[in-house]
Amino acid sequence: MRGDLAGRSLAMRSSQRGMVVRFAVLSLLLGAGIALGAEPQEWLERMNKALTTRNYVGVFTHVRGTRAETLRIIHRVRGRDVSERLLSLDGSGREFIREGDELTCYFPDTRSVLVERRAPDGPLLGALPAINDGSELVYEVQGGERQRLLGRTTRLVSLSPRDEYRYGYRLWIDEQTSMPLKTQLCDKSGAVIEQIVFSNIDLPERIPDSMFKPQVDASEYRWLRAERIQASNASPALWEAMRLPPGFRMATRSSQALPGSKEPVEHLVFTDGVASVSVFVEPRKPDSKTNDGPTRFGSSSAFSTVIDDHQVTAIGEVPPNTVEFIANQVKATKAAAQGMGLAPTPRRK
Amino acid sequence: MSEERPPSDRHGERDSQLSAMFDGELSAAECELLARRLTRDEALRAQWSRFALIGAALRAERGVILHERVAWRVQSAIAQEASYGDASAAEGSVAATARVPVQAAGVPQATTSRWMRLARPAFGAGIAAGVAALSILWLRTQEGPETMLAAVPASETIKLTPEPATLTVAQTAPAEPRSTRGGSGEPERYSTPAPSSQTSFAPPARLANYVVAHSEYSGPLARRMALLGIVGNEAQAEGGDANAAPNTSDKPAGAADAR
Repeated sequence: MRGDLAGRSLAMRSSQRGMVVRFAVLSLLLGAGIALGAEPQEWLERMNKALTTRNYVGVFTHVRGTRAETLRIIHRVRGRDVSERLLSLDGSGREFIREGDELTCYFPDTRSVLVERRAPDGPLLGALPAINDGSELVYEVQGGERQRLLGRTTRLVSLSPRDEYRYGYRLWIDEQTSMPLKTQLCDKSGAVIEQIVFSNIDLPERIPDSMFKPQVDASEYRWLRAERIQASNASPALWEAMRLPPGFRMATRSSQALPGSKEPVEHLVFTDGVASVSVFVEPRKPDSKTNDGPTRFGSSSAFSTVIDDHQVTAIGEVPPNTVEFIANQVKATKAAAQGMGLAPTPRRK
Repeated sequence: MSEERPPSDRHGERDSQLSAMFDGELSAAECELLARRLTRDEALRAQWSRFALIGAALRAERGVILHERVAWRVQSAIAQEASYGDASAAEGSVAATARVPVQAAGVPQATTSRWMRLARPAFGAGIAAGVAALSILWLRTQEGPETMLAAVPASETIKLTPEPATLTVAQTAPAEPRSTRGGSGEPERYSTPAPSSQTSFAPPARLANYVVAHSEYSGPLARRMALLGIVGNEAQAEGGDANAAPNTSDKPAGAADAR
C-alpha cells in the first residue's frame, strides 16, 4: 500500500514536471515564432531599446566621404544612471563622456574641456524621438529580412524618407541582441552619406567606472562649463516656428547658457519621430560677424540667419533645406519683440 | 523481486528530477545523485545541452534573471571567473566573460554548503555554465518601460567577422535610384553630397556648442552621428577651419570656468 502511494506520488510528480517542461518549451517556441515574424518597426523599437538600456563596449569604423575613422563607444546603464563614452582611436583624440546629466567633451587639440549639463528633469531617454503612427507618414519602414553580416545573422531594416526634408537609415540589426552592427545614413535617393560598421561589440554585465576616465590628463586644460535651465511652464513662449516641414512637431524648449553668450540661449527642439532639429536663438552681438547661411558639420546641417536682431541657428541630422526652412520660419512673439522677461538666470554648479 | 520499469518512465522521472532541482525542491542527496548521473549518462547530458540552447535563444529575446536559488548555486560554481565588474580590469583588455545574472540575497548558508559540496567535484565550471543556460528556462522578465535597468544583465560577446574593405566613396555623385541596390540591400555606389558652393561656416566653436547641446535631444543613432561630426576631423576638412572646438582665446561669457 505504501509502495502504491509512493509510486502514485512519483507518477504525479513526474507528470507535473513533464507539464512544466512542455509548457516552458511551448512558451519558448511561441516566443520564437513572434520574434521571427516581427515587423520591421518592431526591430527598430528593439534596436532603440537595446541601444539605450543595455551595457555595451564596441569599436566601430565611421566612414564619410573619403575619410574613415575608428572609434570606441562604451555605454552603461546602472539603475537610472546612464554613462556613455565616445572616443576617437586614431583621429583627434577628442572624446565625449556622459555621466548622468553631465556631458564632458575633451578637446586635446585645443587643450579645452566643455561641460554641458542637462536639467535633472530633462528629457534624457523618455522624450527622445519615438517612431509613431505620424512617423509612418514621412518615412517608409521596410525590410526585416534576414541577412548574414560579419558572421552574424541580422535583420535589414530600411527607413526611407518619403520627402526631401529628412535622411533615411539602413540598419543591420543583430537578430540575437538587437544591436545595430551596421548603420548607413542615406539621402532620399538611397545614396549613402555615411556609414558606421562595428568590428567588435561586447555586452558585459558590468562596466567599471575606470572605463569612463578620459585618456588625456586634462588638469591643465581650460574648462568651460555651461548649464542648462529647463523652462518652466509659466515662461512665455518667446520664439516659435510659424510653419514646419511635414511630420515635424515641437518636442521641447528650454533656456540655457552656452559658452560665449552673456544671455541664456533659447533652445527649441523639433522632431519627426526619427530626426530632430534644434533651433538656437540668442541676441545678436553688435560686433559679431555675419554668420548667415548654411553650414555642414559631419552629417549635421546648420543654417543661421538674423531675425529681429537675434541670431537664429537651426541644426540637425537632416538635409540642408530642412534647417533652412525651419530657421526662416522662427519668429519672435510679441513678448520677445518687446524684450519682456527674456531669460531666467542661469544656474551655475 | 524487482521489476524493470520502461524507458519512458525513467525519462519522466529524470525530467521530474531536473525540474525539481531548478525549483530548488530537490534534496541534497537527490542533487548529488543527479549530478553523478550527469557525469555518466550521455543522453542526459545531451538533453541538458538542448535545453541550454533553448535557454540561450530565449535569453537573447528577453531580460531574464534566474530563479534566485538556482542562480546562487550557479554563481557559486563559477565564482572564480573574471568579469567586467573587476574594477582593476585594464581597459585595453576587454574580454567577454560568460557570467550569470544572479541574486544571492536570502539564500540560506546551509543550502550554500550543500550545493558547494555537490557542485565542485561533480560539475566543475564548465558544467556550471550548462546549468546556468538550462536554468534560464525558469525565468521571469524584468523589463519595464519606466525602469531603465540594463535589459539583459548577462555578459555576451558578439563575435564579428570583419568584411574586406570594399567601400568606395565618391565625393560627388548623381542621385541614385533605390532600385539599383543589390540583393544584399547595399547600394552599388556610395556617395557624399558635395558641399554647396554657397555654404558658409559659422564659427566652429559656436557650432560645436550647438551640436553638443542638440545631441542631447536626438535619438540614439542620430546623437551618435551628430557627435561623430565633432569627435572626428570633419570640420577641418570641410570647413577649412582648424578646430571645431570651444574657443578658448578669451573667457567666454555665460560659461563658468570649472577650475
